Formats: sequence, structure tokens, C-alpha cells
Amino acid sequence: MGRAMLDATNTQKTLVTVRGLKMYFPIHSGFLRRHTGDVKAVDGVSFDIYEGETLGLVGESGCGKSTCGRALIRLYEVTDGVVTINGKEIAKANPQDLRAMRPTMQMVFQDPQASLNPRMTLASIIGEPLIEHTKMTKAERQARIYELMDAVGLNRSFVNRYPHEFSGGQRQRIGIARALALNPKFIVCDEPIAALDVSIQAQVVNLLEELQARLGLTYLFISHDLSMVRHIADRVAVMYLGKVVELGPRDAIFADPLHPYTEALLSAVPEPDPSLENTRERIILKGDVPSPANPPKGCNFCTRCPKVMEMCRSIEPTYREVQPGRFLACHLYDQNNTSAGSTSGIEASQKHVQQGELQ
Amino acid sequence: MTDMAKPANTNRAIRPPRSQWWDVWDQFKTHKGAMFGAAVFVFIVLFVVIGPLIWQVSPTEMPQKALDLIRGKNLGPSWEHPLGTDQLARDVLARMMAGGKVSLAVGLVAMVISITLGTTVGVLAGYFRRLDGPLMRLTDLFLALPLLPLLLVMVMLFRDPLGRMLGIEVGTFLLIVTAIGITSWMQCARIVRGEVIALKEREFVLAARSIGTPPIRMVLRHILPNVMSPVMVAATLGIAGAIITESALSFLGLGFPPDFPTWGRLLADGADYLQDQPLRVIWPGIAISLTVLSVNYIGDGLRDALDPRIRGR
Repeated sequence: MGRAMLDATNTQKTLVTVRGLKMYFPIHSGFLRRHTGDVKAVDGVSFDIYEGETLGLVGESGCGKSTCGRALIRLYEVTDGVVTINGKEIAKANPQDLRAMRPTMQMVFQDPQASLNPRMTLASIIGEPLIEHTKMTKAERQARIYELMDAVGLNRSFVNRYPHEFSGGQRQRIGIARALALNPKFIVCDEPIAALDVSIQAQVVNLLEELQARLGLTYLFISHDLSMVRHIADRVAVMYLGKVVELGPRDAIFADPLHPYTEALLSAVPEPDPSLENTRERIILKGDVPSPANPPKGCNFCTRCPKVMEMCRSIEPTYREVQPGRFLACHLYDQNNTSAGSTSGIEASQKHVQQGELQ
Repeated sequence: MTDMAKPANTNRAIRPPRSQWWDVWDQFKTHKGAMFGAAVFVFIVLFVVIGPLIWQVSPTEMPQKALDLIRGKNLGPSWEHPLGTDQLARDVLARMMAGGKVSLAVGLVAMVISITLGTTVGVLAGYFRRLDGPLMRLTDLFLALPLLPLLLVMVMLFRDPLGRMLGIEVGTFLLIVTAIGITSWMQCARIVRGEVIALKEREFVLAARSIGTPPIRMVLRHILPNVMSPVMVAATLGIAGAIITESALSFLGLGFPPDFPTWGRLLADGADYLQDQPLRVIWPGIAISLTVLSVNYIGDGLRDALDPRIRGR
């Protein structure tokens, strides 16, 4: 885990910079299909990803994780914001420039079945990026396809088969091989293990880690599986309703979550030790996630927050660095509010929080 | 389709290079109906192409003398005329062969026109959102037109000018296949549009976009191969439909000129003598039905064979 230690010093080169990324999906309604509102799937997200690290992006279903990952590599036309990858602006680049930048950023998709064209053989699936971006001869391409298949642990004799002939884990390996074909620097892993069996999940995650160590890849690892994020990520960003509420080094976040939502999220991770599991206190959030088309005034989390204050309902908290390397958007840690925040948030044990919620 | 045909196969050690089309053929062979249909279709094609070389009787020539004409007309089957003669003492077998050539050509060419047009409109409307509205309203417009009257008007207006320009046979042929083609693409366009809209949201299209595949190759490589099944069905039904529409036009006297045999014309001529000579209706009827049926079975088999998920079952 030398990478994690390197991260802590923050001396690495920034590979991906995201500033104020917004992805709104317009709502059209009425007879004339007028533009009546927006689903604010990603609403002003900012973070950096350092070269060679894995940033875990977690949050519950529908909070905008996947949309954020897709908007990042411009699979959607972003509404607003700046994204630079390897020093080049992506979010507003014209199609020609964008196409030239595609090889640096690739994506591994959630559903390996749906992300492979059922009518293409494995060779043509892995070979597609090579055809699009290189001028390899057929023989060179073939050699590269075999090389990639070896790298992800697929038998070379599978080259003429179709996606439906593979198991879920093998399909995900095909997806990874395709993403690796152009030697990318940055790979968005959009819940790459969510659709797989637990036994296969470990294989795929180990493969991803091995490839990262060997090829020096940078990952944005989107997942709702917190234990897996704890295993693979160097830093963790927590999203709620289109916004990053907390971002920090993995160990710090898991040991000492600052944002009430992160606390609640982490308290949901099951404990493998049964004796500890019995004493584990869960923070159960009440109510549902508000609609991203109509987010609440003030802090997005104010409708469900166990530590909600009056100002949370009217003033939106700013996203800022509260401790070195730890970013947070919560009024509990505002400058003028530090004492209140430290008693209820940092020093108070989970148990206190739980009681506080029940009362 | 073209992209699917060349999996990079310079594989020496593990598996011999093998074009995907061999897999398609292997699967096609296991479809009994398709093989039977293919056999029947080949037989019909041989009948209309090779047949006239063996049975060298003119399909249009009438006896010169009035007496021969009166004696030789409306005969039943005999060794001299295996399928009998028509009301002008012309040999029905020879006319069946000559008519089949025209009918098959009309069916195939009209189908190609209609499928090409329908698929193009469907893919453009489904893939490019901006074109969806205008193109689908155009499709609705064509669907709302009463087709037979439209065909009649087109034939009335353009048959003579085209005939003067290109010769009566080529002119009429072009006019009829165009007329049938541009009045039958709408179903195909609607089916394809629906499929394309569904496919566009699939993750493999998103994956191709993340690779940076430009729209043209996206359509050719990812969209078109996946809409092949409904297009194939529409195509086989289209051949059948075109042959039948041509028959209907000929039957109404607006297809090819009266002395020019097609299966539809033979049917129309024979209908007048249905009471005395029922066989004269039955022969072209059987020919049209067999062609349509065999083409449908071939299309069925092809659709299954082209789908790698069904292949090998």
C-alpha cells in the first residue's frame, strides 16, 4: 500500500481536474413540450484525481455517481463546468479534438452483458479501438489483441467467440481488455463488479489492481459497495443528490467520517466478526432521497440529516478543505461553528449520535 | 454486416481462420424449412433462366393463319403444349418462364429499393434526434396515401414518357419497381426506427462512443447488424408483397404492356377463362405462392443464422 502513503503527502501530479461539473437533464412537459425544469443529476462537482491513484466514488442509488463518471469523459454533453484530463480540456472540446483525446480516457461498464455488442466476436470487440485510433496492420492488430487477452487472463482460443458464450466475469475481462487497448492513462470503472458474483468480484478487482500496478493506471472507481471501495481506493469521494459531500483519504474517511451522511453510509457496512456485528450501531436515515429535479433549499441533505440545524435549511454549505486533504460541505464544520461541530461530530462516538437521533 | 464478415483471423496456432459466413452457412443448413425453401427458390430461378433455353417456344408468337389460331387456342395440356395454350394460341409453359423472369426481377429489385429506403430513413430518424420528427412525419404522410390509386396515377403519368426514353420494357420495369419500392418502405422505416432508438441506449453503443467511433461507423458496425433480424423479415415479406403488387397492377392492366408476359398478367388473362380452363389460373398462382413461401422460409433461416445467440442451437 505504498500508493496510499504517497497520497497522504499529496505531492503527486494531478491527472484529472474537475471544477463545477454540472449535468442537467432537461424536463419537457405540457402540450408544447416546453422546457419546464431540469433533473440535476450532477450539480456542481469539483475534485482532483492524482496520477496513479484510485478515487472511489460512493453514494446510494440515483445520487449521480454514474452520470458523473460518464460526464467526466464526455459521454454526455455536460451542462457546465471544466474537466481537464492530462492537461487538456474535455468538457467543451470540439468533436475532432475530443476524438483525439479518447485514447487517454476509457471506461469499464457496469453490465458486461450490455456493454458488448452481441454480434461482434471477441477479436472485433477488442480490436475496435485499435481500428479507430491506430494504423496497425491486421497482423499487428492480431498480436495486440492476443497481448491484451493475455493481460486480462482470457484464453487465446476464445478469439472467435461471441459475448453470449462467456460467463459474467469473462465478459467483464473483455470489457477491461477493450478499455486497455489504447494504453489509456485514466479509466472510469462504473460499478464494474456490481453485476458479478462475489467470487468473481474478487478476481476482477484483483485484476484491476494488478493492471494498475503494472501499467500505472488511474481509476475513478464508482461503486456502492463500501467494503470494496475500502479495499481498492486510495481516496474516497461521497456523493449525495448530485453533489460531493465529503472527500478525503480512504483511511481517514473510514476511521473518522465528518459528514453526517458519510457516517450513516459507513454505519451500513456489515461487520464480518459476529460479536462486533451485534454491537454495531446503525444510523438509519429516515425518509427518501429528494427528487434531483426539485432539490431542497439549503443543504441537499437537510431533509434527512440527524444533526440538522436551522441554517442548513436555508444556506447551502460551501465545499471546502476542512483538514489537509479532506474536503467537506457541511455547516457543522463552519468556522464560526467549530465548537459545536467538534462536540457533536468528531469527538462524539457513534453511540451518542445514535441516541441523539432517537431522542 | 461487412464489418462482421472479417474477424481478424490470422490465427495460426489455436484455431484455423474461418470467416463468419461459414458459421452462418452451418446454421442455415440446420434449418429444414430454409433449406427446403432455398431448394424451391433455386428450382424456380432455374426454371425461368435455364428453362427457355431448353423449351425454345416463343412466349409471344401467335400462329400466322387465322385457322391455326382458332384451332390452337385455349387447349388443355398436351405433349405439344405441356401446360396448354392461351386465348391467342400462345404456349403457356413458355409464357410462364418468360413471365417468371420479369416477376422475380420486379420482386427482388423492388424489395431492395424499399428495404434500402426504409432502413435509411429508419436509421436516420432513430439515430439523429433532429431528423426524427420530419422523417417520421414523411413516413406518416406516405402511410396515409391510398397506395393503389397512387400507383395507378404514377403508371398513367410516367409510363409513356419513360417508355419513349428507355424503351417500353426497360421503362416499364424501372417505373414499376420504383413505384412499388417507394410505396412500400414505410413499415420497414418504422420498425427500424424503433429498434435503433432502443439500441442507441444500450451500453455497447456508449462504449463505442467512449472509444471515439464516429457516427457513420457506429451505425454500420453496431446499429445495422443488430437491426438485421426485423429488416430480414421485412425484406422477405417485401419480395412477396412486390410480386403481388406487380400482379395486381398487371391484373388491372396498368403494369407491363399486354403482350408482355408476367405472372400477374397470366393470372389476369386466365381469370376470364376460369370456368373452362382453371389450370391457366392455377399455374401462375402456384408459381407466385411457391416463390413467396420459399423466400419467406429463406428469410426465416437467414435471420436465425445471422444471430450468433441462436447459432449453434
